[in-house]
Amino acid sequence: MNSATKRKLLFVLGPVTGVAMFVAVVMIATFLTNREYREPYRAPAAVVDPTPRVQGLEEERAAAEATARATPYVEAEYRQFPIVGSRVAIWAIAQLHLLFAAFVLAVPLFAFIIEAIGYKTGDMRYDRLAHEFTKLLSVSFSLTATFGAFLTFMLIALYPKFTNYLMAVFSPTFLPYVLLFFFEAAFLYTYYYGWGKFHPLVHLGLGLGLNLVGTAIMFIANAWLTFMMSPNGVSDTGAVISVMDAVWNYTWMPINIHRVIANVAFGGSVAAAYAAFKFLQADNDEDRAHYDWMGYIGNFIAILAFLPLPFAGYWLAAEIYAFSQTLGLTMMGGAFSWLFIIQAVLIGNLFLAANYYLWLGMGRIEGGQQLQKFIKYLLIAIALCFMVWATPRSIIATVSEIRAMGGSTHPILGFLGVMSAKNTAVNILILTTFMSFLLYRRTGKEAVVSWAKAGHTAQLVIFGGAAIFVIFLGIYGYFVEAVVRIGLSVPQVLSVLFAMVSITIIDIFLFRGAKKTVIHWGRIPAISQYVLIFIAVTFTWLMGLMGYVRSGLRQHWHVYGIIRDNSVDAFTPTLGFATQVVSWTVLAFFALIGFVFWITSLHDRPDRVAAHAPERLPHGGGAMAVPGVAGPAQGKES
Amino acid sequence: MIPHTARIGGLVLASTAFYAYVGQMVPQKEVLPPTETAIRADLSTTEMATVGREIMEGKGLCMTCHTIGRSGALRFPDLDGIASRASTRVAGMNDVEYFAQSMYAPDSFIVPGFNPGMPAINRAPIGLTDQEILCVMAALQSLGGTPTITLQTSHTYYTAPGAPAGGAAAPPTEPGQKLPLEATNTTPGVAKPPAPPAKKGA
Repeated sequence: MNSATKRKLLFVLGPVTGVAMFVAVVMIATFLTNREYREPYRAPAAVVDPTPRVQGLEEERAAAEATARATPYVEAEYRQFPIVGSRVAIWAIAQLHLLFAAFVLAVPLFAFIIEAIGYKTGDMRYDRLAHEFTKLLSVSFSLTATFGAFLTFMLIALYPKFTNYLMAVFSPTFLPYVLLFFFEAAFLYTYYYGWGKFHPLVHLGLGLGLNLVGTAIMFIANAWLTFMMSPNGVSDTGAVISVMDAVWNYTWMPINIHRVIANVAFGGSVAAAYAAFKFLQADNDEDRAHYDWMGYIGNFIAILAFLPLPFAGYWLAAEIYAFSQTLGLTMMGGAFSWLFIIQAVLIGNLFLAANYYLWLGMGRIEGGQQLQKFIKYLLIAIALCFMVWATPRSIIATVSEIRAMGGSTHPILGFLGVMSAKNTAVNILILTTFMSFLLYRRTGKEAVVSWAKAGHTAQLVIFGGAAIFVIFLGIYGYFVEAVVRIGLSVPQVLSVLFAMVSITIIDIFLFRGAKKTVIHWGRIPAISQYVLIFIAVTFTWLMGLMGYVRSGLRQHWHVYGIIRDNSVDAFTPTLGFATQVVSWTVLAFFALIGFVFWITSLHDRPDRVAAHAPERLPHGGGAMAVPGVAGPAQGKES
Repeated sequence: MIPHTARIGGLVLASTAFYAYVGQMVPQKEVLPPTETAIRADLSTTEMATVGREIMEGKGLCMTCHTIGRSGALRFPDLDGIASRASTRVAGMNDVEYFAQSMYAPDSFIVPGFNPGMPAINRAPIGLTDQEILCVMAALQSLGGTPTITLQTSHTYYTAPGAPAGGAAAPPTEPGQKLPLEATNTTPGVAKPPAPPAKKGA
């Protein structure tokens, strides 16, 4: 052994010896302590009860019962849910219920439209696609109902007094709700299991019925929750004056419309995520092509529904302001102002991801490269709009900070935080994304109509004119009084809508009979599928966040201005805490939707007996493997 | 090679974590339910103005919409110098009556160039008491003028205890005389401490 090895050995032996000595000391101390004399345990004479055990138990039970009988019944106002508290428990369950409900309401809507397209065009690919979307419904419907029942029981248990009040106001709506729910189940299962079993028009009728009933259910449930935010039809003390007015409150119809559109956007994104999941798992080009196409359609539906969503959001916000300026300003300029910055990050990501997916998709079309050079300009426009949208107006500050600023707005950045700037940013963002769609749509096509040049010019003029008009109104808004400025958002929105509709109409006629190149479905980078999943996560998170602001706006009120929240959770939590709850809920949703995807994918897998039979029956017996009939018999023979 | 399922799981987790992180980056503030400001009957007018300013910035939510000393594109009227404008806004209405009307019946008169939107301050959800509104009036009088209001001032929407009905201004009472609604164990402008809320899962 040389000296270097000895040194290494000594280096190791030092700590080992130290540890060994420490252990030895602990063992010796334990040994000595265990042998220390201790007084044996004896029950103190004063507490020894001579009563026989059975008799004692009987007396205790009788005493408890007597106490219970003597206690007058008091209705509990609140009860506490363990660990996370009642508010978070209700929050998470309600959010999960709403996410599944949104999915269950949205999928039939676009499955019906796709099936109708298939029927009209005779292209059976659409029929197969609609059927595949519908496969996701069955398990999701059960989960929606389960979470709905869970939410109801939790409300009754944790917020009994408030729930009692809501039931008193809305009891006339309960029977229609239950009946509609029954009809929805009947329509849904007939629609799903009856695929290909009826005349196509009868089947489409079932789909229509499913959609109408589902929408009606949502409208009833929306009445309950919008009443909490903008109560109507009751006195100042909460006494019911008119149930119809309570249903048709300020925010009811805006929420109905907003939710229908948002559900379609959300459902489309989740269905696209399913397609992406299947694309990534596919082991042949045919499946990849199919699921690429399915993902494209799902994403197309999501983004198509997403484009008008800000307009529906503005209408909802306008109605909130109309109901109560205080509520409106709490939302946009008070405690929740920063929440809209988080929302801007989410929506900015959605626009970026959606555009990125479209740009990647151009690669699957022959001749797509010539239009890809425009992408960088679109990217710059999106980034600029994103930055303006993400600039806050009001800042949550201390009293001294507000005094120092002369108000709750930043003296410079505050100019980008007002609605003039944000309306302009979102309208340009929508126009830019629409342009991306347009570029994608015309990739690989060449217009052959005689007026092709004039058509392109007209489209360009309309697009440029709308963009300039929107920007002009945005700047003009800084120089006019509030009463004029608020009205400017209407011509901004109308000019964007006009541009989208007119350009689309021109495009349809412009490319009628156009020369087309081949679309290679399935030939798209795998990252595009992860983008689809990212879009689904972002949509889900956005729904969670906006659900929070809609509910949280009421702050310390169960029913705004009428039933005050006196519970320990009456305070409005920090946005950090709220986003944590939203995140956990989103993760739970994706764990469950993963379960739905897995169960749905079982449908396409070969039966276990059929899959294994050729191995066990090498002489061709596998051909007899009929599920549930021949399988077991073959198993015995083998 | 990482399986696609694991990658998808990782992407969902990372995206969610990113958004939760963004949520931690914005200012964090818990908003507690408003506390009642107890007002002594012997508050001087100057003290009322101080209390009124605190109410404006707190329970009254005035500063959520209004500004002081700002110009340009405003959503609601700026309050700087309101004391000098209040007595001339509506013909035949003095500043006290104008302030009272603005808070109890805000839609009765809309400042030209602005939209209606001010809620009735004495009703839910803001629900200031009559005494709190008098303090807010004193604070408004201090913006470009000298406050003159006392807790014994009456107006169309409130009659001070002991004053003749009809809204005429009542003479000031002796210092130390208590109003029926007041609490006795508080100091001017100091809100009652709120019951600490139990924060679950924070």
